[in-house]
Amino acid sequence: MSTGEQILTVSAGAKTRPRKAATRRQKQERLVAVGFLAPFMLLLLIFQYVPLLVMARNSFYDYSLLNPAAEKFVGLRNFADMIEYDDAGRSFGITFLFAFGVVAFVIPIAFALALFLNSKLPARGLVRTMIMLPVVTSSVVTATMWSFLLDPSNGLINGALDIVGITRQPFLTSTTQALPSLIAMTLWQQVGFGTILFLAGLQGVPSELGEAARIDGATRWQVLWNITIPLLSRTTLFVVVIMTVFSLQTFAPAFLMTQGGPQEATNLIVYHIYNTAFIMQQAGYASALSVVLLLVVLAISMVQMALLRSRWNY
Amino acid sequence: MKIYSIVFASLLGATALGATGANAQSTPTCTGETVTLRILRTPGNYPYPKPMEAWQKDNPCVKFEINEVPFPQLADTISVQAASSNPPDIIVYDGPNTQSYAAAGILLPITKYLPKGWDADILPATKAEHSYNGEVYSPGIEQTTVAMYYNKKLVEAAGVKPPQTLAEAWTWPQALEAFKKCQQGPAGAATVWGLGPTRFGNGQPGLVYQDLTYQRSAGDPKAAPTSSAYKTFWAFAPDGKTAEGYLNTPEAVEALKFYQSMFNAEGVAPKVGIPNAFFDAKACFYIDTPAAGNALIKDPKIEWGITPLPYFKTPVVHTGSTTFGATARSKHPEIAAKFVVDMSWGEYAYMNVSQRGNLPTLKSLFSRFDVYNKYPMKVFVDQLQSWGQPRPPGPKFAQYDKIVSEALRGVAFGGDPAELMADAEKKVQRILDR
Repeated sequence: MSTGEQILTVSAGAKTRPRKAATRRQKQERLVAVGFLAPFMLLLLIFQYVPLLVMARNSFYDYSLLNPAAEKFVGLRNFADMIEYDDAGRSFGITFLFAFGVVAFVIPIAFALALFLNSKLPARGLVRTMIMLPVVTSSVVTATMWSFLLDPSNGLINGALDIVGITRQPFLTSTTQALPSLIAMTLWQQVGFGTILFLAGLQGVPSELGEAARIDGATRWQVLWNITIPLLSRTTLFVVVIMTVFSLQTFAPAFLMTQGGPQEATNLIVYHIYNTAFIMQQAGYASALSVVLLLVVLAISMVQMALLRSRWNY
Repeated sequence: MKIYSIVFASLLGATALGATGANAQSTPTCTGETVTLRILRTPGNYPYPKPMEAWQKDNPCVKFEINEVPFPQLADTISVQAASSNPPDIIVYDGPNTQSYAAAGILLPITKYLPKGWDADILPATKAEHSYNGEVYSPGIEQTTVAMYYNKKLVEAAGVKPPQTLAEAWTWPQALEAFKKCQQGPAGAATVWGLGPTRFGNGQPGLVYQDLTYQRSAGDPKAAPTSSAYKTFWAFAPDGKTAEGYLNTPEAVEALKFYQSMFNAEGVAPKVGIPNAFFDAKACFYIDTPAAGNALIKDPKIEWGITPLPYFKTPVVHTGSTTFGATARSKHPEIAAKFVVDMSWGEYAYMNVSQRGNLPTLKSLFSRFDVYNKYPMKVFVDQLQSWGQPRPPGPKFAQYDKIVSEALRGVAFGGDPAELMADAEKKVQRILDR
């Protein structure tokens, strides 16, 4: 018998080896764990997974919320409609653009702010509160406040532009400026969250590594680029995934500030789904859109996790 | 002995008085089974407590359970509750949705419960809006329409004299001249606007109720049914099967270019809402329902007047208000239908309408409202009777309303009218084809 065969035999033997019977203590611990987990798992099952299954089933039907009893099985028609009509494609496109805009700006700004807060500042707590305040402010309040700020006639931002000699901008009433305006508002609201996450990551980076590099003659920039940023890759991945998922699920600004307009320029996918189900009364089509959104969010998150997988541990 | 006699006499007297009091109240008591009617309505809407209490005296076995939701959430709430296993017995809803709810089987037909003389007394626009496939689904209580309010001080200072009768009503170009004369500050960023923003929705332009009349008034209902002028006026096929060729017509596009200019090139109307702009003297003119007039009568913050809604070729105003109906799946359909019909007829209807001050749906009640028999509020009655048209009715009104409102808003914000209306036609057709 060769060495290879021996190894195979050993592994096969290991696979078939009977499991050790659980001790009484282990059994008790398992029972306690199940007891603690059961209420949450039950709620998760009832309010998350069952609705998901119902949604998946509904995506093959055509029905209105006003009369769900008159539902009709339409097979893949709802999915075919997403290709035949341009509403779904446009809405997904706008949502991706929105998510890209938010993530592309939030990550560097939040990181820069976290570096700033990680230094020895005298009023660090105050600055941190100021950055976090928009995060804990209600979306409705934020949206209303920004609607006033971005008023095309008498808004504060246009007033400021007027003072410096720049012509008034239409902002939310312009097809080209509405989406960037929503991105700016979301950036203002969410950057604090990203900052706190990065700050937590920075405070976990061992200071010895940076100090050793500095003794070896590395500049601050080299320490940041070659040590801090690579070591923060787990935090970066987390912030990127969280911000992407959050952006893909954004609803309030489109609902409260622009109602998806002008000319569908801010028709974010979740608002489109709401509109399709509750106003257009096409609940089956809305379910199909939700299924696709779920798959898209899953796929994007998986790709991001694969691309940004951490290669360093500390 | 004497004391005992006095005490006994007093007790006897008190008992007798108590009994008399009880008889004098004569509160009707329920001798049968108690029925609870569940009502879904918006805050501050009918049915109002006074007529309800009066009705309960005749129907002592009926109790009410009232649930209220804000108007913007009303349609969503009805969508969810109507399909539930225990829907409300009576729903208050936006009148133009009658056909949607009737087609979906939410509303109970009430034709057989209507009193004699109802057909002759009801406003034709109300009956058209609340009927579907030959059945009446809501009797309606009040009716509204819009006219143009003006700030007397501001328009007089600008040397503008708005007309007060339908015969002298302005055309839109005439109205635009008045807006320009009265406006203060630069176009597009005025301190006092020529035409103030709406108070409906979020204050942005485009609402079908108010703004579809621009293009409809450029049409002609007396033209040949195949002509674009005829289709422009109706804005939706009379059989409810298509909107194609009804929104994107040459007349409509021309009217919409004018509409667009008010928010852009001429800059006499703001693109976003300004809370209370008219009441704070930040607008010379303002389009609203009788509710604004009634509020100003109670609290005259400014000197004001009303001028009929301007038009291009054919004067037209949209009718419609919230209304109410009994639900088809109510556990007590007979009683719910009786309550709904009773509340909208005779004295009960008068009590309900006078509470808020909108217009009644019954012609016989107009004479009982002094305020509507003289200028300025009479303009509303005249408009309603001579120019009133329901918004394009159909079982897909809510969808039509949303799609066309978005297209009109797009036009107001500077989009191409022909392109946007063609797109709206396609979207409406997609909904109709489903």
